[in-house]
Amino acid sequence: MQIFLPIADVPVDLFVLLILGAAVGFLSGVFGIGGGFLMTPLLILLGIPAAVAVATEANQIAASSFSGVLAHLKRRAVDFKMGNILVVGGLLGSAVGVEVFRIIKSYGQIELFVSLCYILFLGSIGTLMFLESLSTIQKSRKSENTFKQKKKHNWIHGLPFKTKFKSSNLYISAIPPVIIGFIIGILASIMGVGGGFILIPAMIYILGMPTKVVIGTSLYQIMFITAFTTFMHATQNKTVDLLLALILIVGGVLGAQLGARVTVKLKAEEIRILLAIIVLLVCLKLALDLMITPNDLFSITYGSGS
Amino acid sequence: MRALIFAIIFIFSTSPFSLSSVISDIDKSNIELSTRFDGTSILVFGAISPENDSTSLLIEIIGPSTSVNIRKKVQIWGIWINKKIAHFQDIPSFYQISISNPEHPVLIEIENQKLKSLFYDFLEINSTPNDGNVVEQYYDELTRLKKKLGKLSAFEKQVNIIDKKLFSHKVNLPKKIHPGIYKIKMTLIDQQGIELSKSEQSVKVSKVGIQEFLSYNSKNNPPVFYGLFSVIIALFLGFSAAQLFRWLYR
Repeated sequence: MQIFLPIADVPVDLFVLLILGAAVGFLSGVFGIGGGFLMTPLLILLGIPAAVAVATEANQIAASSFSGVLAHLKRRAVDFKMGNILVVGGLLGSAVGVEVFRIIKSYGQIELFVSLCYILFLGSIGTLMFLESLSTIQKSRKSENTFKQKKKHNWIHGLPFKTKFKSSNLYISAIPPVIIGFIIGILASIMGVGGGFILIPAMIYILGMPTKVVIGTSLYQIMFITAFTTFMHATQNKTVDLLLALILIVGGVLGAQLGARVTVKLKAEEIRILLAIIVLLVCLKLALDLMITPNDLFSITYGSGS
Repeated sequence: MRALIFAIIFIFSTSPFSLSSVISDIDKSNIELSTRFDGTSILVFGAISPENDSTSLLIEIIGPSTSVNIRKKVQIWGIWINKKIAHFQDIPSFYQISISNPEHPVLIEIENQKLKSLFYDFLEINSTPNDGNVVEQYYDELTRLKKKLGKLSAFEKQVNIIDKKLFSHKVNLPKKIHPGIYKIKMTLIDQQGIELSKSEQSVKVSKVGIQEFLSYNSKNNPPVFYGLFSVIIALFLGFSAAQLFRWLYR
């Protein structure tokens, strides 16, 4: 069923969008990832303008992370103090990111910019995941899968503004969480991702937070950042397509619930390799689109901008 | 509609016309762009009273004005990058011209004159080269791209004339059209292209329902409200989903 998206200004098939939303939601349920870093490039590949894909995906993540936070609140798995400090950094990052986005958009190069960010990003994440899963599989074959993470006393502990984080059982400086939050805010606003795949490792390895509060706290921050990013994009760039967001939210919620409850018969490493391959394929497609000689060198855009 | 045609025939057959004239009507005066809009067509019909066989009827459909940028892809470091090369300020977003007599002697002149006065005169060049060839190329690219999008057609469809008196013409609008007023101009011309008589109609194309509500241009929907609304809807749906599934898997 063809529908016309009001802000994206393109006709799309409703069922294709619903299925896409459900598929990415399903993957996020299975892998415990946000899915923004897959959904945004897929929307772009579907023909939705990059600026609209990014802003609208931020809107979708606001919905999915809120429903996730609620589940974690019940289990008291949210470190509010840490979350709030991350949010402060994140709001700053998001404001800066949206402004950068607006400037690049005014030069008419936002499609290129978002594509390049994603190629870089998906390329490195996909390669890392692929290599890591390969080595884990090899290790497990030799039956010596004892991978332990050491807690380091690094530069983090020499920084000022130390404060106590009760839920995380930490006494560290507030500077690293602000910086991490800031980076996540930038990522959310220019790429339309929640940033969990960077936030979660950063919380564990850099801040040294206990795993039981990591996911809840990251969802808590992501919810605020993506909600704020949505608002900023809507007011500064006018690129939030609420109809598209609604379709993706509905598809995504159903898919995620299914994904979280389905018992996958594959091994964890095999799933990771599968995800890595999907990520690399999307990256490859984006790169090819930039490099292949276009059929028509000329194109039309409307409006007084670029 | 049929009644109207009969009325037209009646008027024409009873009153002796010394001057040439055009009277016209359209089958709809409003087009609603809903989420399911998939293109539409407008039927233009009416009657003409030619002085002799040498008169021809021109029908033009002129959509609301927009600004258009022509962008060209250039290769830098192996990647294709869009570069804005030309800008046309306030040109019709849709234009179609048709004639009843495709063998009209000054057809090419009419087409060139129309394209010039509606499109080419509004060019603002962006890039540096300024020799005549480049400007011509911008014109060519504009018309080629607009034709490709179904937003420009010149003498591709013939206006039907029945019995030298009645005419009908169907205008197809693509699924992606700009909202606004679409003017329909009917002009009776002689062999030299001189205007003898004319008639004008207009169709209002507007966004409706969710398209209108979610449009940033809407007066009662400033961006701040849109932003807040998007966030609230998202949070509400997130909350509902959490509640729903907790209830389902209780």
